[in-house]
Amino acid sequence: MANASVKVDVHHITRVEGHGNIVVDVQNGELKQCDLQIVETPRFIESMLRGRPYGESSHLTSRICGICAVGHATASLRATEKALGVEPSEQTILLRKLNFHGEMLDSHVLHTYMLVAPDALGVGSVIPLAKSAPEVVLRALRMKKLAGDLCAALCGRHTHPIAMTVGGFTHFPSKADLEALRKRLVDSRKDVEDTVNLFLQLKLPAFERETEYIALHKDDEYCFIDGDLVSTDGGKWPVEQYRSVTNEYLVQHSSAKHTKNQRASYMVGALARFNVSYEQLHPKAKEAARALNMKPKVINPYLNTVAQVVEIVHCVEDAIVLCDKLLKKGVTWEAPAKPARLSGEGVGSCDVPRGTLFHNYTIHDGKVTGANCIIPTGQNLANVELDMRALVPTILDRTQEQITLALEMLVRAYDPCISCSAHLLDVRFE
Amino acid sequence: MSEAPRRRIVILALGNPLRGDDGAGPEVLRGLAAERDWPADVALIDGGTAGLETSLSLSGYERAILIDAGELRLPPGSWRRLDARQVILQGKDGPTLTLHQAGLAEALQLGEALGILPAEIILYVIQPENIGWEQGLSEPVQAAVAAVRAAVVDEILASED
Repeated sequence: MANASVKVDVHHITRVEGHGNIVVDVQNGELKQCDLQIVETPRFIESMLRGRPYGESSHLTSRICGICAVGHATASLRATEKALGVEPSEQTILLRKLNFHGEMLDSHVLHTYMLVAPDALGVGSVIPLAKSAPEVVLRALRMKKLAGDLCAALCGRHTHPIAMTVGGFTHFPSKADLEALRKRLVDSRKDVEDTVNLFLQLKLPAFERETEYIALHKDDEYCFIDGDLVSTDGGKWPVEQYRSVTNEYLVQHSSAKHTKNQRASYMVGALARFNVSYEQLHPKAKEAARALNMKPKVINPYLNTVAQVVEIVHCVEDAIVLCDKLLKKGVTWEAPAKPARLSGEGVGSCDVPRGTLFHNYTIHDGKVTGANCIIPTGQNLANVELDMRALVPTILDRTQEQITLALEMLVRAYDPCISCSAHLLDVRFE
Repeated sequence: MSEAPRRRIVILALGNPLRGDDGAGPEVLRGLAAERDWPADVALIDGGTAGLETSLSLSGYERAILIDAGELRLPPGSWRRLDARQVILQGKDGPTLTLHQAGLAEALQLGEALGILPAEIILYVIQPENIGWEQGLSEPVQAAVAAVRAAVVDEILASED
């Protein structure tokens, strides 16, 4: 509508982690301002690592986040291991993958059920949802508990993986632990199916915008740990070249930097992984994708949440496969693999729930001399803003409340972890 | 074959021992655990900082006793025994009581909405002197911890009669 003037000013958008404002200013149909302002202060984790013994890095950096603690720890360990020539054993690799699935499930269940579903069901938060559909909320809590127990069994604690260390683990699940977890995973298939069915019924906004999607990729598995960086625009980079993909730059209105690659912005996260590595998904996850009408390349950012539902199916099924492998081999106590040297530089990368994460360390005589951490949410910020700029003109005929909700849902769809992203949704209708 | 014990009472301590007097709750719990061997129908849980899953910890019990540091606007070391339902579930306009109230209030509201909370939920709140970035309790709070521990013991023993 040519003469519409609208200002949206959401100070501290709710149901996201961290603090961000949405500021949108439209005057007479012309978009004057459209920002996602990150107002979180940087926490200088990278500086804290300097001077510390290399073995502390994963423990310090896992405290960057309570929901991606295993993701940060794993990326951190891979960076240290590559810097110091440490080769993890096959058992370590399997245990780390299973642990990662636990965290992926925990994070995705929280986001899909408690952060996104309330919007789609027209309620303000999970609490009214608990009153109107208690079985839905109990299911989410049950799935989260399984995911948390899986992590605790593998890395010693739910939140902050105390048993993960350079070269391996300091604690191992027993055969009984693994068998019990396997049974609970198999029993959870009903809950997973109900999750897919729930999202079959939920209506998410139809909005599309072409952009670049980037994820870690391996040809032989749906990859969360290691791999190469691959883009839907073409291109493959070893993780050591991450800087030539992220190209960070400062923006005035945000305490977190923005990134760009082959276009003005790119997207990481579940939808990016789905678009890049669909072929590698477990067959049951592909089935769920078909049921949910998801076929790569999906370019609706609101469907990032649905891609997470597909990943929930994949992670439960692959966790069962991993339990079977570990039970067949038998898990034995292993000393962590030793470093070949005490100085070097390494880049560790994982595709954590929200997207590609990079930890880059330099280590000299066993002490960290430099660290650079690039967080997935920071890599999404430019893409969110460009989405907002494209979306607003198409919804100017709606009420202020509807426009605000559409923008809040857009930001929420990315599952942003804002505290993590500020390393160095004020929708203001003016 | 033994049956699972009756889930009569759960004592849930909330608090972060790295934040000065916010560690009061866990300290009370530590004292309770050391004081005697509690029967199987009494559970002691260190709840850390409250989250949505806190309400799951309370589910299935007949009574819950929560212990936490909180802003009572009273001299340090003061403490009160309160009905959690009245304070948190209904008193939305009241002052923010504890460091964890946003988490605890939401957790209890969620539990209430799901219908999984115990019939009776008692909240012991201890007024902190200092909740800065260090370990250790101030003297007034140490005294309160001892008093609250004794009160909780009396409460459990009285309920057994």
